[in-house]
Amino acid sequence: MSSNNGQPVLEDISVIVAGQGGDGSLTVITMLADLFRNSGLNVYTERDVLSRIRGGHAAATMRAFTGHRYCIGSKITLLVALDEEAVTKNARHLDSDSVIVFDDSSGSLPKGLLPQGAKLYAAPFNRIAMRTMRRELYKNSIAFGMVGRLLGLEDEHMRETFVKRFERRGQVILDYNLEALGLGLHMADELGIKQGKGLYKIERTDPEEHLLIMGNESVAFGFMAAGGRFFTGYPITPSTEVLETLQKWLPKCGGVVRQTEDELAGVNMAIGAALTGARTMTATSGPGFSLMQEGVGHAGSAEVPLVVVDCQRSGPSTGMPTRPEQSDLNLMVFGGHGDFPRFVLTPGHPEDCFYLTVDATNLADKYQLPVFIAMDQALSQNIATVKPFNLDEVTVTPGKRLTAEDVAKLDTYKRYSFSEDNISAFAAPGTPGGMSLVTGNEHDEFGLVSTDPDNRLRMMEKRMNKMEDAKKELPKGRLFGDQESKIGFIGIGMMYGVILEAMEELEQEGIHTKYLQPRTIWPMLDETIEFINSCDRVYVIDLNAGAQLARLFMHQGAEKNKIISITRYDGLPYRPGILVKQILEEEAKLLNGQGKEAKLL
Amino acid sequence: MTTEPKTKTFTPARPIWCAGCGDFAVRGVLEKSLENMGIPPHKFMFLAGIGCSGTIQNNIKCYGYHSLHGRVLPTSIGAKLANPDLTVVAAGGDGDGFAIGAGHLVHTFKSNPSITYIVMNNSNYGLTKGQASPTSPTGYRDNAETGMDSILLGLSFPSTTFLARGFSGNAAQLESLMMAALEHTEAGRGFAFLEVLSPCVTYYDTHREWRAKVYNINEEEGFDPTDRANAFKRVLELKEEKRIPIGLIFKGENTALEKLIVNENETYPALQEIGHTGHRAEYDKFIKAYLG
Repeated sequence: MSSNNGQPVLEDISVIVAGQGGDGSLTVITMLADLFRNSGLNVYTERDVLSRIRGGHAAATMRAFTGHRYCIGSKITLLVALDEEAVTKNARHLDSDSVIVFDDSSGSLPKGLLPQGAKLYAAPFNRIAMRTMRRELYKNSIAFGMVGRLLGLEDEHMRETFVKRFERRGQVILDYNLEALGLGLHMADELGIKQGKGLYKIERTDPEEHLLIMGNESVAFGFMAAGGRFFTGYPITPSTEVLETLQKWLPKCGGVVRQTEDELAGVNMAIGAALTGARTMTATSGPGFSLMQEGVGHAGSAEVPLVVVDCQRSGPSTGMPTRPEQSDLNLMVFGGHGDFPRFVLTPGHPEDCFYLTVDATNLADKYQLPVFIAMDQALSQNIATVKPFNLDEVTVTPGKRLTAEDVAKLDTYKRYSFSEDNISAFAAPGTPGGMSLVTGNEHDEFGLVSTDPDNRLRMMEKRMNKMEDAKKELPKGRLFGDQESKIGFIGIGMMYGVILEAMEELEQEGIHTKYLQPRTIWPMLDETIEFINSCDRVYVIDLNAGAQLARLFMHQGAEKNKIISITRYDGLPYRPGILVKQILEEEAKLLNGQGKEAKLL
Repeated sequence: MTTEPKTKTFTPARPIWCAGCGDFAVRGVLEKSLENMGIPPHKFMFLAGIGCSGTIQNNIKCYGYHSLHGRVLPTSIGAKLANPDLTVVAAGGDGDGFAIGAGHLVHTFKSNPSITYIVMNNSNYGLTKGQASPTSPTGYRDNAETGMDSILLGLSFPSTTFLARGFSGNAAQLESLMMAALEHTEAGRGFAFLEVLSPCVTYYDTHREWRAKVYNINEEEGFDPTDRANAFKRVLELKEEKRIPIGLIFKGENTALEKLIVNENETYPALQEIGHTGHRAEYDKFIKAYLG
């Protein structure tokens, strides 16, 4: 599509800003995302940074598009390279249509690095920043002016975004950045890139307003909207935004947010608050979740409602803190000593994060057990546009609580009374007459420590049966694609957006597929196993080395020979094109009769 | 005082302690102090750690909770911050508090929440048959290290507000210290730390030794428990003299944690009705902030 003056109208564009850590790539991308969102396009951004404040190669990407997408595409439309390494690292994503803006302060770009036909704009951002402003820091704001012009943004809109972004940091900082923006616009003028004469034209396509939000912020808000009023956390990448968002918002609703000394305190302080009846959550990543294992098992045994968010990153150990992975699935499903019930929910995009956190908070309260929300770094931290959350769709259902009046009507109150539905109504501390004992020791109905074998069996069954009981109301998965197809996909978290887009591309190759995005992986819902067994083959995409998801399905009754396991654990986010290539290769092998045995490590 | 409904709840269990254990005195004094203070059982949340002393909540009418080993302080703080109306008392032993849970003790000294913490110090791990603990002296079994002093640790934090040590063999003084600790927390003045020397009659019977060594610092002429530097100096000097100072050793002023982070203009987290719509305006503001 092109506009009447010949510029292509934006339908799907990817901009990457790359340089050294501290160059401000993420700031440029975040502001661009805001501008494009305001123009009525949907956006998705991705960060690729190292776990350090300065130095090391860092990049941020923004994709703006019409329609519904939750991943970065395979192609770069515009590369803003703040150094030469930014070009060499990203060259493979460039083609003859790509445009490159290069900071040539340290010399011009060597020949042969760019594909034939790619258009290069070279400008010395760093040198101008140093010469004019005496601060290298402002080079990204200078570059922004040029990039904005190329993308067809209005100068005035850029200025507005700068004000929005920098005014909370004080007038001085704002003035410097506006000055830098002006320098960038001037450079664009000199290169002949005038206002309204960019490479593209933006037309407002979607009249609806959109939130621009990351998964972690959506989780935080879901918890708040579900009546969550107590949160603990210890800063750890990539979960920290849950803590920071709630620190900002929850106290306004009378909630308490506590940054604890470690994750041991984090999970136990959450348990202490949950004991009093407050809806409680904590968030962490793999290393912290490992430390919390004793606590979550205790919550399962002592029947304490608790939501734990695990923003997974590359493990094991310290791993690669800023890289996405889905390798804590085994820990969420099977972790902890002894047997205890737990639910594991798996959202796929920020909107899903909001609604599933509401569900998690309700479910924890109803069933009095730990509920885990399985995030990954990309889902947690990548900012995307979503429809504004509909608060009228949020149902908050309290668990089985006893008031003083309820207690007074009882002959006997037992905290762990056996009941039909395996859930014991409880009186929170402070309720007259409801004195009780809560413990992670095996206990009788009153909560007194007991090793009686008959009691042990009944108590264990009471707790473990909650998982079967809950299946009917645990969040169901979502189906996409051609339901007649016999080729299926299963993937969770960040794979949601990648798989959907790969399916579109496969469709063009004549391969029809369907996709199940499971939203509960523990207890395993029958629908998941039925989906697998209804296909000839299912590609299970695991972002871990151990094929944890595929193995879980097999363990739960999926036909082993129907699963083709694809694992990835190099730390890089998936691109749809890479998945398409892998699927085409697998399908070709099948055509060549090379069998389709389950491929596990 | 609210009268409790007639509903039958758990019957407090008989203690599991050996006859003559110092923990009996702690239980008796605590029960009496709560009664003296007029704190009804339903407002009393009693959390205990793991160890012999970590069963004390089973022996009193209360909202009792048995925490994970070493985690009684964060759990108690969570309860207090979620509902500051509760009287929250944490209890445990020297292993629970000074070994596996030492990190939390340090941060509780620092954060000053209005909870009482009773550490029943018997200078060994009684429940696992007498291994050396952080407070065991040099030469106990194979212990080559020097025992730690929790009061000195507490004094080294400028944020602490109540540091006391009692002796199970001196119930009258212990009761006055227990009352003072509960009054401190009920008034929202911050963290009341009460170490109780509580001899283990089975594995490390220090009863006679401690009776001979204890020194009531409050009887010392001119001793001022609000003078942190002098308290530190006197505790060190007494240790040099092989004496164990007991009494109210330090009392200071510092804003309590719950007063810093619980929004007093709103209903406390635990007391908010779940599903109420009173905060819809805040939710709408959140959405607006992300609409740009």
